Formats: sequence, C-alpha cells, structure tokens
Amino acid sequence: MDLAALANCLASPSCVVTQTVGGLIIGMLLFLVTAGLTLIFGVLKVINFAHGSFYMLGAYFALTIFKLSGSYLLTVIGAALATGAVGFIFERLFISRVYGRNVLMQLLVCYGFILIFDDVVKIIWGPEFKSMGMPAMFQVPPLFIAGGVVPPFYLFLLGITLMIGFALWLVIEKTRIGKTVRAAAYNPGMVSALGVNTDILYGVVFALGGLLAGFAGALAAPVRSLTPGMGFSVLIESFIVTAIGGIGSIAGAFAAAVAIGLIRSFGSVGFPLFAEGLMYLFMVIILVTKPTGLFGKEIA
Amino acid sequence: MMRPRSLAFDLALGIMVLAALTIIPIVFPSKALVDFVIRGAALALFATSLNLLIGYGGMVSFGHGMFFGLGTYSFGLLMQRTGMPIPAAFAITLIVSALVALSVGLVCIHVKEIYFAFITLAFQMLLYSLIILWVPLTGGDQGLTGGIPRPPFLGINLANQGHLYLASCTLLVSGLMLMRHIVESPFGYTLRVVRDNATRAGFLGVKVLRVRLLAFVLAGVFAAAGGVIMSLFVSGAYPEFAYWTVSGEGIFIIMLGGLNTFLGPTVGTVILLLLNDVVTRFTEYYGLALGTVILLFALGLRRGLLDLLIELWRRLTAPSGKTRSRVRPARR
Amino acid sequence: MLSVEGICKSFGGVAAISDVTLEFKTGSLTAIIGPNGAGKTTFFNLASGAVRPDSGRVILFGENIVGLSRMEIVRRGLARAFQVANIFPSLTVEGALVAAVQVHARKAETICRRFPLKECRDRAFAVMEMLGLEDKAATLSANLSHGDQKLLDVGLALALEPRVLLLDEPTAGMGPEERWQMIQKVHELWERQKFTLIFIEHDMDIVFKIANTICVLSYGKLLAEGTPAEIRGDPQVIAAYLGTSPEIER
Repeated sequence: MDLAALANCLASPSCVVTQTVGGLIIGMLLFLVTAGLTLIFGVLKVINFAHGSFYMLGAYFALTIFKLSGSYLLTVIGAALATGAVGFIFERLFISRVYGRNVLMQLLVCYGFILIFDDVVKIIWGPEFKSMGMPAMFQVPPLFIAGGVVPPFYLFLLGITLMIGFALWLVIEKTRIGKTVRAAAYNPGMVSALGVNTDILYGVVFALGGLLAGFAGALAAPVRSLTPGMGFSVLIESFIVTAIGGIGSIAGAFAAAVAIGLIRSFGSVGFPLFAEGLMYLFMVIILVTKPTGLFGKEIA
Repeated sequence: MMRPRSLAFDLALGIMVLAALTIIPIVFPSKALVDFVIRGAALALFATSLNLLIGYGGMVSFGHGMFFGLGTYSFGLLMQRTGMPIPAAFAITLIVSALVALSVGLVCIHVKEIYFAFITLAFQMLLYSLIILWVPLTGGDQGLTGGIPRPPFLGINLANQGHLYLASCTLLVSGLMLMRHIVESPFGYTLRVVRDNATRAGFLGVKVLRVRLLAFVLAGVFAAAGGVIMSLFVSGAYPEFAYWTVSGEGIFIIMLGGLNTFLGPTVGTVILLLLNDVVTRFTEYYGLALGTVILLFALGLRRGLLDLLIELWRRLTAPSGKTRSRVRPARR
Repeated sequence: MLSVEGICKSFGGVAAISDVTLEFKTGSLTAIIGPNGAGKTTFFNLASGAVRPDSGRVILFGENIVGLSRMEIVRRGLARAFQVANIFPSLTVEGALVAAVQVHARKAETICRRFPLKECRDRAFAVMEMLGLEDKAATLSANLSHGDQKLLDVGLALALEPRVLLLDEPTAGMGPEERWQMIQKVHELWERQKFTLIFIEHDMDIVFKIANTICVLSYGKLLAEGTPAEIRGDPQVIAAYLGTSPEIER
C-alpha cells in the first residue's frame, strides 16, 4: 500500500492526466467488450461465457490483416467483421441449441469453446506472445497535456470508442432495427408472429456482440501483447463490469467500465499489489447495496 | 410407501468402498493411482459440496472455490506457524470456513439467481486478491512454500504417502456419507422444496433464508475439507486454489457427472481427472480435446454421465406406464 | 375467526381493493365471486399476508396479522391453495406432502434423522386419503394430471392443519365432471375437518350449490354479501355480474 504515491499523483496534474487517460483506455476497451456481452444477454437471455474469446479473435485477426494490408483502418474493420461472422456461426450452430436450457448448460457449451478457440489460435498463430506494433500513422510524438504523456493512439482509441458507443445507443434506441431488437428482448413470440425471422435476428444480435468484442480486440492489438490466454482475464473483467453496471444496460456498462478503468489505473499507483482487489472490493460493495447493479432492473 | 434411505445401508456401502480403496493399491501398486485417488478425494469432496448448493439447493454459486482455497491456506498456515496436531488444525480449519461461510452467506442469500452467482464470485475474487496482497502471511503469489510439517498423530504419519492415501480415502468416504445423510434428512428435503418453489415453501411456513444459509455454510465446510486434502497433497497452498477457475472446474465436474444424483459429482471428478491424464498423454492440444468432449456432453448427451446411466436403467426396468410427453427424469 | 376491516390496496395508482370489510365466521363455507379483475386474488393475497394492505386490518383469531411474515401467519392456522397449481415438481406426491407436514411439525430443519419421519409420513398419508391421491403417492408431482396437481396443491395447504383455508379457484382449468368431483371432495373435507373455508370460484352452479355465504366483489369493492338466495335476487349483483340467465333460477 503506497498511499503517499497516490496522494502525490493526485496532486500532480501530469500524473492525473496520465493515469486518467490510461484508466479511460482500459475502461473503453472493457466497455466495448461488455456492451457486446450485455447486448447478447439482454436480447437472447444467454450469458456468453465465451465472449473473452471473441476479444482474443479480434486481436489475432487484426494481427494478420495488418500484416497483410498495412492499413490499420482496414484492420480494425476487417477484424471486427470477421469476429462478427464467427459470432453469427457460433450462435446458429451451437448457442441456438441451448436456449432456454439451464444456465449451467450454456456455460458448459461456452467453456468448451473457450478451450477450443484457445487451441485453434495456438495452432494457427503459435503459442508465443505476439505483438502487432503501433501502426505507422500513430508513430508520432506523444501529446503533452498538463504535463502528462498522452500517446495520440490513445486519443484515437477514446474517440472511436465513444463514437461506437454513441452509434450503438443510436441504433438501439432510435432506429427500427433497434426497436425490433428491443421488442424481441421483451417478447420474442410476438415479434416472430409479426413476421420477423427471429432466428436470423438472434444470429445478428450475437454477431453484433461478437463484433463489438472483436473491435475491442483490434483496437487493443497495438498496445497489448497477444497470447492465446488473453480472453480469460477480459472475460472475468467484463463479468465484473456487467455485474456492477447492471445486466442488459449499455449505459451501465459504460459507467461501470469507466469506473473500473480508473480504479485500476489509480489503484495501481496507490495499491500496487491490490489493484485488482480494489476492483473486486468495489464490486462487492455495489452488489451488496444493489444486487442488480447500478443501472440494472429489479427482478420481480 | 417411501422408506427412509437406510443409514445402515449407506454405512455398509461406505465401509465396503473404503475397504476396496484400501486393497486396490496393494493389488495394483502404482504411484500414479495413489496420486489420482488423493487428488480425486479433494476434488470430489469439493464438487459434492458444491452440488449441495446447486443440485439440491438450486443456488448456483460461481464463488464456491473460495472455501476450497480457504481450506488449503488455513490448514497450511496453522501447520506451518503453530505445528499443532493435525486433527486440531483440521478442526480449526473447518470452524474458520464455517464462520466465513456464515458471514459471506448472510449477505449473499438475499440475492437471487444469476446475481447470487455474481456476488459469490465477487467475494471469492476478493479473497483471492487479499491472499495475493498479504504477502507476509500468505506468501503472496508464491503461496505457502517450504512444505507442511506433519507431526504424526495416533500412529498415523501423513508424511508417508501410504498413510496419506488412507487418510484421504477415509476423509472422502466419511465426508460423502455425512453429506449423504444431510441430503436424506428432513432438512435435505426442505432444501429441495426451497429449490423447487421457494415462494410456495414460504407459504408453507419454511424459513427460506435460514435454510439457504445453513446449506451455504455446510457446503463451505465440506469444501474446506477438500482443501485440506489438497494442501497435504501439494504440501503447501497456492493462490490458484482460490482463483475463480476452481469454481468453474467444480461446476464443470458436476455437469460432467450429473447434478441430479448424489454421486454424480464424484463420477464427474473421476471423468475429469481421467480426461486430464489421458488427453495430456496423447496430444499437446489439451484444450481442443477437452473442449470437444465438453461439447459432446453439453450438446450430445445433454446431461451428466451418472444421470444418463440412471435414466437408462430406469427406462429399462420400469413398467411401461406413464409415457406422457411431460415426463421429467426423477431427481434424488 | 377471520375478518378484514376496511382494507385497501392499490397498485401503481389503480385501486385493486377499496375499503372492504368482511367477516368469516368459524366453520363457515364462503364463496367469493365477481367478474375478472374484481380483486378476488388480491383479496386472498391480503388476507393471507402475501401482500401488505395500504390500510385496514386483517384479524385472525382476534389478532391483527398485518405485517406478520408468511411463516408466522401459517403458524397461526391460515393456509391457502393457488389458482395455478403451485407445487414442487421434482418431489413425489408423498415426498411433497411429507415435506409440508414436517414444516408444520417444526421438524423441517432436523438433520439427525432420516427423511421421511414416521409421524410425518402417517399424517401425509391421511392427507392423501382425504384427497384420494393414495395410489399416486409415488408419482412425481410434475407428472401428475392437471386435476391431480390442483388436488396436491390443496393437499399441501391441508398438511398444515389449517383452521382457515383459502382456495383460489380450486376448479380452474378442469372439465365439468372433474370440477364437480373436486368440489365434492372439498366439501367433504370441510364437513369432516370443520375448518373455515373460503374459496374463489367462477362456476356459478358450484357456487350456488355448496356455498353457505357468498360475497360478491366488483372493481375492488364489496358489492353484496349474503346467502345464495339473497345474492341471486340482489339487483345490483344481477346487473353487475350474474345477468338474468334462467339456469340460475333454481
């Protein structure tokens, strides 16, 4: 425990900026992943325990596409779409068979896939740590805001995540597709009776969830090292974010993800060994006071 | 007419199993087998205790591993720091687990369904983080190193692998028999009633929260017993024993063996350990193989192995009577 | 025995029950009738303590039971059965009833002995015989026919040796013959056990045949209360609910 270091940091604008930006990056990536998870749960009532694997796939797809094309823009879009496609297939072939079953059965199917995906990645890309490196367009000197170091890539990441988050909100709340998706969450039977092909709808929603996770993976690729186990820790963290933010709530996912990111960032300054523990402590406190999470709906 | 599942029968069965377990390594001497059984004993106790919550109580906990880890660390620390007699350390470990389970349980039992899973997970990971943090006490991420002293007691020397084997088997069999008794007691059926329909149970006058809390504490105690065996086996305690993957493995074991029968988790433990050993011997792609087996269970068999076998047995021996489409497999 | 005084309950601004006052004498057999949405099930929820009234009192054996937990109310001798069979799917008929009996016998948390306890099993069998379910003792509750599930639902309430029994639409979902069988069983039980029975029912033939007293609820208010003859002739009731169908004139 190093409270002196924390106090010093909070007193220094450069430290505050650096840590805040770092925390926001963690938070934004977590938000994207969790938004996908919470979307899948909200509509399909399935907890996609394999969601961390989609994040991992997104990062690895990005690695390959970037190596082949050299264009980061193409990389991000391509990786996201590819992961979305995997999500669609995964849902149609496997998840659809366990709808309505015991949640433990769903967990089991997803757990099976985590193991399979991890090994597939190991086979195709190799088990060693890999790194993508920073794309050329971001290899520029960092900005100095209030003395704090801010790599431009971070700003890009922040910006694009906010845009995606906003777009997601827009689509879900304001468009017809979004309305259909929300209706399907409440009453799939009715939506089906109204002529919507709910099977395809479910596949699309799952694909969208996977796409978001894949996006996050592709965005993280330049600044994280890639390894076949990288989905695991993201998984547990997105669970925490979901639990804290409230299942099914994208706004909740955003708030919780940002909170977790900042806690991790500043926490590692003041409590180097307990940074993760702070996260769990926060989760315990929130869940004890409001078991359904910050923005979660009360169960009847 | 329902007869009480006989205590005498269970006792006899337990003694026979214990006898068999004792004889096997004499007939087939094999270190691997001995290690297998000891590990299996630890995990089977853990998984059966988890099934007390999940299968019999309908309470899906994602954090049950915290009691297993607590068991390993409590026992390990007590032995390393105080050198007290092993039975005393064992008893204190169980008491500590009961107290922790009581405190954590008091908070968690008010929460339902998936949120119960989340909050139990949160508590487990909090414990894990505390273990990592408290380096002077727990050794941090290195765990308790340096081995565990094993002062002989009553002529039993747990430093001797053979003695450890017998002790683990005895603990396993007695633990299972105790849990069996709990499950077949009036309390066990009140627990099932709460699992099936907590609202109606309330209308009958059942103190639902108390029943759940009692189940939670009992499950925690037996999980800790499993942890003690594991601690003796690895001669220490490591943070992995408190990590959420232990809880995941427990759930996984239960699903493999079947959550509708008492011995399902034990069968699941055997399956998992066998899979581990067999798969690692034949291929380096452990994940691919294991994952495929899991999918076969989840999508193909759709239930645990023991559940499946019992259902087949029932179908073969039952008179052709009720074949309604709503027939559900019976639970025990 | 059981009486309610001025109870009111609103849900989100809609008054489900407004200022209802009723008294159910010991050993009486009362039917509660009324159009859908009249508040009959809400009334039961209020009387049995499942829901707390916004105002008013519920008096059971001279004691105001508002605010008591379900368990405490059950211990005071009030039990209810449900419109949709509210049972324990994975237990057998015998198992479920023994479990209910042992709760009543305050042995639900016993760990030292084995289930089923002999004294509880005997009592459970008595309940099964009362309802005619003995030959289905070993059947899984989930596999029972709809009618038998309703019987079991009543049985679970009977296992508590209630002095006041609330039955919510005991014949719901049954065909005409099954309905008469069910209501006859209920009637026999009432005659033998001499508890206070209150039931909600939609089938007017049944209501007028067996009830001693009828209470009519409409829009959450008590419209009328009296003997079958009085109710049959009450113009308000006829206007609101019964109509002037010749079948009613017996």
